[in-house]
Amino acid sequence: MASALRSSILRHIRVPLSRTLTLNGSKTTAVRSMSSHGDDHLDKQEVIDRVLDIVKSFPKVDPSKVTPDVHFQKDLGLDSLDNVEIVMAIEEEFKLEIPDKEADKIDSCSLAIEYPSSTSFLPMNCIRRLLWTNY
Amino acid sequence: MSVASAAYLARRAAQKERVRILYRRALKDTLNWAVHRHLFYPDADALREKFEANRHVDNIETIDRMVAAGEATYNKWRHPDPYIVPWAPGGSKFCRNPPPPQGIEIIYNYGREDNV
Repeated sequence: MASALRSSILRHIRVPLSRTLTLNGSKTTAVRSMSSHGDDHLDKQEVIDRVLDIVKSFPKVDPSKVTPDVHFQKDLGLDSLDNVEIVMAIEEEFKLEIPDKEADKIDSCSLAIEYPSSTSFLPMNCIRRLLWTNY
Repeated sequence: MSVASAAYLARRAAQKERVRILYRRALKDTLNWAVHRHLFYPDADALREKFEANRHVDNIETIDRMVAAGEATYNKWRHPDPYIVPWAPGGSKFCRNPPPPQGIEIIYNYGREDNV
């Protein structure tokens, strides 16, 4: 009864739309990243801790020598193949996929720390396929 | 014995890079085949032994041939369904929810649309 009255009134009168809640107001909740990668917003100290833990638990490494800017081959006396193994362990820890050329260049702890914190986990290069165009 | 010319060193450096990339791919492949860690560790050690056995080879042609043979073996043993990190290209979640373009908003006017 009331809804029929309302719709009959609305058919004759044009009620203007009121733009109430635009997303630009609340900036805090607007940045909700869609990716389900849990590691999206890491802070630097956490990255440093995790990378150092990985390096320290490597069996050929002396844990007391590990600092955030240690070079794997020069300071820790590791091999290039050990380097590869450490990079793989970092990939597994941060659930990243590092391309082969980049992985080859990671030679020291500082590079290893800077890589996960700088890689954005949002798919930037993704091609958006508009699925609804040509139907 | 061998003149340490720039070309020779460059070639050796390129070979070393090939070896590292081959080791990396072979290790990932080993992880693909041996999913459980307690099976992976002995296999990874065996792979490392194979690389270590040829560590001291000096002749550049021999190294070239060995690397080519290693790459052929790797190609033969590649896993048909490798594990790719889901957010990486080729993974299952790649581009699954791309961020919407800037400036697109939701207008909340439920119930107040034009009654046609």
